[in-house]
Amino acid sequence: MASILPGAPQEGIGYSFSQAAPNAASEPRQHSFYPYSDNGGTSLGISGTDFTIMAADTRNVSGYSINTRYSPRLYLIGGEGPENKGARIVLSVVGFTADGSALKERLDNIVKMYKYHHGKPMSVSACAQRLSHLLYSKRFFPFYVSAILGGLDEEGKGALYSYDYVGSYEREQCRSAGAASSLIMPFLDNQVNFKNQYQPGSGTGHNLQAVVAEPLPRERVTQLVRDAFTSAVERHIEVGDGLQMMIITKDGVQEKYVELKKD
Amino acid sequence: MDTLVAQYSCPAIEDTTLDAEQDELLHGPDALSLNFSLPPIAQPSSWLRAMTDDASNPNCPIKIAHGTTTLAFRFKGGIIVCTDSRATQGNWIASQTVKKVIEINNSLLGTMAGGAADCQYWLAYLGMQCRLHELRNKRRITVAAASKILANLVYSYKGMGLSMGTMCAGVTPQEGPALYYVDSDGTRMAGNMFCVGSGQTFAYGVLDAEYRYEMEDEEALELGRRSILAAMHRDAYSGGFINLYHVKEDGWVKHGFSDMNPIFWKTKLEKGEFSNVTADME
Amino acid sequence: MFIARSEYDRGINTFSPEGRLFQVEYSLEAIKLGSTAIGVSTSEGVILGVEKRVTSTLLETSSVEKIVEIDRHIGCAMSGLQADARSMVEHARVQSQNHAFHYNEPLRVESCTQAICDLALRFGEGADGEESIMSRPFGVALLIAGYDEDGPSLYHAEPSGTFYRYDAKAIGSGSEGAQAELQNEFHKSLTLPEAEQLVLKTLKQVMEEKLDSKNVQLASVTKDKGFRIYSDEEMAEVVSRLPTN
Repeated sequence: MASILPGAPQEGIGYSFSQAAPNAASEPRQHSFYPYSDNGGTSLGISGTDFTIMAADTRNVSGYSINTRYSPRLYLIGGEGPENKGARIVLSVVGFTADGSALKERLDNIVKMYKYHHGKPMSVSACAQRLSHLLYSKRFFPFYVSAILGGLDEEGKGALYSYDYVGSYEREQCRSAGAASSLIMPFLDNQVNFKNQYQPGSGTGHNLQAVVAEPLPRERVTQLVRDAFTSAVERHIEVGDGLQMMIITKDGVQEKYVELKKD
Repeated sequence: MDTLVAQYSCPAIEDTTLDAEQDELLHGPDALSLNFSLPPIAQPSSWLRAMTDDASNPNCPIKIAHGTTTLAFRFKGGIIVCTDSRATQGNWIASQTVKKVIEINNSLLGTMAGGAADCQYWLAYLGMQCRLHELRNKRRITVAAASKILANLVYSYKGMGLSMGTMCAGVTPQEGPALYYVDSDGTRMAGNMFCVGSGQTFAYGVLDAEYRYEMEDEEALELGRRSILAAMHRDAYSGGFINLYHVKEDGWVKHGFSDMNPIFWKTKLEKGEFSNVTADME
Repeated sequence: MFIARSEYDRGINTFSPEGRLFQVEYSLEAIKLGSTAIGVSTSEGVILGVEKRVTSTLLETSSVEKIVEIDRHIGCAMSGLQADARSMVEHARVQSQNHAFHYNEPLRVESCTQAICDLALRFGEGADGEESIMSRPFGVALLIAGYDEDGPSLYHAEPSGTFYRYDAKAIGSGSEGAQAELQNEFHKSLTLPEAEQLVLKTLKQVMEEKLDSKNVQLASVTKDKGFRIYSDEEMAEVVSRLPTN
């Protein structure tokens, strides 16, 4: 590192950067090295008792121009050969497409090699931890990618893991990532986790009884996914064209494609 | 074989990350060499700051998830560790269900404030080192030693942009209940009471007023809960669920991951606290 | 024959014209000098047993460590050069923890054995980019016992880097006699206490000293308790159950 000037004392936890961050008023900041672009798109995953549904739109943009109307964002991970036959894990990547496909290829290689090394297919929880560490290995040069990983756990229940850019992760019931995640996530909180829903007739004010969240059936979840996307398309320019869905059950991964508005 | 091929083929660009990647596929990942890829520029850390530091640049493209109010204190009956559960990326609440207490082993806990990924990764790494220490030395690692491993580790990355403020709490036969604070600057200190994160001041306010070393277990648990509640109420970056642990001589005990909302109303209505908030819900 | 051999048995990375690596073969001989170690696998778990050679009454027997823990679910017994075993065990421990760190699951017993055997041939000059660890082959064999999702298993790893899975296996100086005994006595329906008795009975036959609770050591790997070395009290109890004759 260059000169180590003691930075101004910071509130709470600072970053361990060797100098205090320059504030906006000081000299102009250089952004000459910018290796990322944002290709938009939104992904979504919901897990149920014996299935996980992953979904993402297929529009790919740079700024306001549309590069293509069909670039898939869901990838099968593991299984056999380039078609990933028999794979039971699905990765969705939104953000920068180049980083996304690089990430997917690395993870796919690792999962396939794992099978040769250990003689068994990788479990989702193992894959989830590995993906976290894969993202973290680029801690100082991050992948510009929001990843969601879906599959079935060892008990056959739906498993869904969400990640930030550098690999912090958490198992959840539902998660949306990407451009329209701020539109979709509140909808999912309400419709999947029943946040802020109360038992009708349970009283008023402090007497209100919250609705207890329970796993939703597959048909209901599929419909929620479609509703989430058709609504997001109405209000976000980077979302549209097509909806790719992958439904993971004990019988395998079923892929569906639904058209979305193309304006 | 690969080394032979490497010797006689002439790559256009010397790419060490690809070598590391190939090595990883051949032999499996290696945590001990800790290969992190760096951007191909002279000043990786200032670049990383421009990309990820949402405190100095709210428009930075990569918003890393942050964790927020955590506290731990020593008392007669052991150590109380309590945290909120909110993770924010800029102003966006990325999650309300983060587990900010990381179970390193069955007698050692770590807490998470600052970068969520940094804490998750390095505390897991610490867990591995603690287990190896145990296997090599046939006894459990002391909290002092564990926190020192972590402090040395983050110190070696000083200036690179790690962001973490963590507490290590545990009980060992050698030291009794022990509590250490370690952060990404390399600071490491032992103490009786720490609050870490953007809501730390609010938590300290309650904790300092009510804390006594001679508290009973129930009182101490309640104090931990109440201090975090204060921080959740006043700090916008804190909220969600109260995650409460009690570290005792024979290991830690979890005391729930409870929604703050009913606890807040209970505290207000039954104890008459938070009287600035109206109880009228109509 | 002996003269022909001497030209090739000094280079550790030179094949003889008959296609043999003498130093590796000699390393297998080193194990036959070691104390006897026995492993027996049952459907409930695996029992490992070793003889401790107590060469002096002044020797503190607890410092003779021939059974060690690799991870909660894997342990190993050794025969041959103790010091070599230490670096193999260290490697196995690191691999095991590393796997848990990256994959959030315990390492399989077979993968652990493979990791140990990967180390076995990293002697000699070391190719470019690959670090060589030893200047000669290891002089120790290991019996690796573990419990994973496929149940209990027992592996035998040699200095040559090959490994096989066994129901029951003896290594070390008394291995020939002991293996014959195991061959006769082993059956698939052994219970854990029966396996303890079988291990001790077999050790008793091949040991030069009289077997007592101080000069043998037992360990077990089971689903519930993982790897566990028997305490002095347990050893005394198991030895007392042994029929006297």
